[in-house]
Amino acid sequence: MQTPLLGEFQAPSDAKHWYSPLMRLDIPMQRYAHGDAVDYVIVGIGSAGGVLLQRLAKAGFRVVGIEAGPFWDTERDWVSDEAGSHKLYWNDLRITGGKDPITLGANNSGRGVGGGSVHWAGFTPRFHPSDFRVFSQDGMGADWPITYEDLKPYYELMENEIPVAGPAYYPWGDPHGYSYGAHPLGGVGDVLVEGCNKLGIRVVAGGPIAITSGSHGKRPHCIYRGFCIQGCKVGAKQSTLVSHVPDALRHGAEIRDNSMVARINLGKDGRVTGVTYFDAEGHEHEQKAKNVIVCGYAIETPRLLLNSACPGFEQGLANSSGTVGKYLMVQIGNVVIGRFDSLVRMYKAPPAHALTEEFYETDPRNDFVRGFAIQTVGPLPIAFAKQMMVAKGAWGWGLRRVMMDYNHYAALGVLGEILPWEDNRVALAEDKDQFGLPVAKITFSMKENDKKIAAAGVKKTKEILHAAGATEVDEEARYAHLIGGARMGNDPRTSVVDSFGRTHDIPNLFLCDGSIFPTQGSANPGLTIQAVAARTADFLVSEREFASQHHPRTTSAVPRIRYDLSPGDTAGHGMPRLKSRTPRTEVGIGGLAPDSDY
Amino acid sequence: MKVRATRDHAGHDRRVRDPRTGQPLAPKAQPGYYPGFSTIRRQKFWDAATRAVVLKRVNQVPPIRFFNPDEVRLMEALAGRIIPQDDRDAAHQIPIVPHIDHRLAEGIIDGYRFEDMPPDGEAYHLGLQGVEAVAQHMYQRGFVDLDPGEQERVLVTLHDAQPPAGDAIWRRVAAQRFWMLLVQDCIEGYYAHPYAWDEIGFGGPAYPLGYMRLEGGKPEPWEKDERRYEWAAPAWAISDQFHPLGGGQATQPAGQEGTH
Repeated sequence: MQTPLLGEFQAPSDAKHWYSPLMRLDIPMQRYAHGDAVDYVIVGIGSAGGVLLQRLAKAGFRVVGIEAGPFWDTERDWVSDEAGSHKLYWNDLRITGGKDPITLGANNSGRGVGGGSVHWAGFTPRFHPSDFRVFSQDGMGADWPITYEDLKPYYELMENEIPVAGPAYYPWGDPHGYSYGAHPLGGVGDVLVEGCNKLGIRVVAGGPIAITSGSHGKRPHCIYRGFCIQGCKVGAKQSTLVSHVPDALRHGAEIRDNSMVARINLGKDGRVTGVTYFDAEGHEHEQKAKNVIVCGYAIETPRLLLNSACPGFEQGLANSSGTVGKYLMVQIGNVVIGRFDSLVRMYKAPPAHALTEEFYETDPRNDFVRGFAIQTVGPLPIAFAKQMMVAKGAWGWGLRRVMMDYNHYAALGVLGEILPWEDNRVALAEDKDQFGLPVAKITFSMKENDKKIAAAGVKKTKEILHAAGATEVDEEARYAHLIGGARMGNDPRTSVVDSFGRTHDIPNLFLCDGSIFPTQGSANPGLTIQAVAARTADFLVSEREFASQHHPRTTSAVPRIRYDLSPGDTAGHGMPRLKSRTPRTEVGIGGLAPDSDY
Repeated sequence: MKVRATRDHAGHDRRVRDPRTGQPLAPKAQPGYYPGFSTIRRQKFWDAATRAVVLKRVNQVPPIRFFNPDEVRLMEALAGRIIPQDDRDAAHQIPIVPHIDHRLAEGIIDGYRFEDMPPDGEAYHLGLQGVEAVAQHMYQRGFVDLDPGEQERVLVTLHDAQPPAGDAIWRRVAAQRFWMLLVQDCIEGYYAHPYAWDEIGFGGPAYPLGYMRLEGGKPEPWEKDERRYEWAAPAWAISDQFHPLGGGQATQPAGQEGTH
């Protein structure tokens, strides 16, 4: 591939499928017949679906992934342009309402192979140990059926597979280090670090982000062009399209792109038999499967279950609990914008590159539980102008004037926890999509605790910007990151799936994506989604081993970590220089006893 | 691109002014503080797919298919106030309305519709009627026939979510939702254009070349350092005074672009 550093750029002239400048799809893809009951059908090849597809294929299962969007040829399909990247998002109609409605589409749900990981900013903090027992600790929200320790090996595994670039020491939650080098700072990171230093707030820079700071196999290093959420043409930012899908195809997985699953089919024996879907030409097909895993994320996974209602499951497939669609969450994502006399040029460097989780944990001095993180964001001009429309009330000459000062602004994002509430939910609307399927209707309202976190997060972020020397500070209320809608739990009466994603109602139907999270803390969920998928894959492989050894099937088995399922040359490389420790205490600012060595 | 006179029919000067002298400043090919900076001149360093998308945007303005001729005139007047371009010379004005028309004609949406809103196309048809109703109520003339200052005073009632007329219309399409839809669509038209990137000093497409100078706001070798000048909005303008959306009442969220 000729990608000249300087000089005119030539598009690839061959007919091959490119999914990063150095990676070419020249593996003939496996094709399974519709009537051939494959071991697994995976609905949605995004963050979780991509990881599952790769692992199950590598373990020798016959796997078909069905994806509503295209199998991106990144050299030809993606552009280094804000307005031209609209197609990366799930733009099909959804109806949104409630007292504090969520705007959807742009950047909170993906479409196409790689899903949301194609357009995530790439922040990859782990959840904190406290995130897994919010209800026990704070009397609000929900507990997970697993602990941090259950997921920790998968965090470590995925951080090396993705890989995650970050600091040698990360002080919050379960302190740990990153084996791949942190990134240089950009202008917005400088502002966050400067403000935090002035106020004595611990802050890390250069990661953790799922972007390679140095070349890694066929993944080139970051070139700091700032178009992360427009899809990384460079191939430096991880998406499962570049990190896991190639290995999946190498091991015989099939991906059917531009194919929209309409329903999951249930057999007379109470087990699912496969899925019905519409292909790119709109033709309806049924793919038989021994198991179905739905990885459609927080809106589409509940919608598919609700649209698959059938005799015995009139309220939606696997919905005997009535929980499908409920406990939908987003995170507080308010953007706080400071103007500086000197130039910042926030379009350079990845939008995600520095953060503080100092205010993440419940602090007894607050009048709310849980907390927030503060992160860099680097909106490009269209996004920034829209933020200024709200933050300053800018339009007309005022909008032209603030935009002429675009390079003087730095934008920080509050990332705050919104707790799961039953009446924040996904249901079906009367409107239909192009296939005649009812679209999702989302109802969302913020509660007292959520609003207090948002206010506290904005206040603290303003202090940081002022401390960094901002002359004007404005804020715009918004949300980030969908999660929930089909939560995991031990009690089949109040949850949809167990901790491995197996539905309580149907033994061969699994859900695995952000929809099964009971809570999401104040950490970007992408890494945890992939870690949960890797854990589910290990479970499914170990279940086969149990079965072949005539052990009774069990859902309580703790799967062994299958390092051999990592894509080639990723497991065991770049081992962390600093071993993580178990936090000594969970109270106080930052949730940790002060670290004398930081 | 249609040419806008520096004065309208009533003799109001549309040009921006020098704040010290009050004298009008001549329209420029490139307003903003980065004279000589041109993203499009860098096009041979862009990848082929990006080059095709951006050049098509610049060179092939889509024909009007959605709005009727009266609506086009009204939309042009609205876009001219929401993103005024009177400081740009005629050859360097950025078409906004064709972009909105194209979106509506193609049925391209952002992935959601508020439960209390009609589909975007219908929202535009209704919202434009609502703007006319407010203009007639306030000035007894159609919006396109108003002076620019009067037009701004009509629009600020939408910005404040308190239109003084057209209640029956605004019950079907909430004024604030329509206003935010309209402003966001205008933003997508204007700030997607390389001329706007040059104006604000944004580097534009940067693949496969990338950036080397990340800190301190330093320019790349092909970028320009800032050269500021003072300018004031025309005397009739009120849109250069910031005040909160919805008159400070709780606002709906904007689109999700640029989140983390």
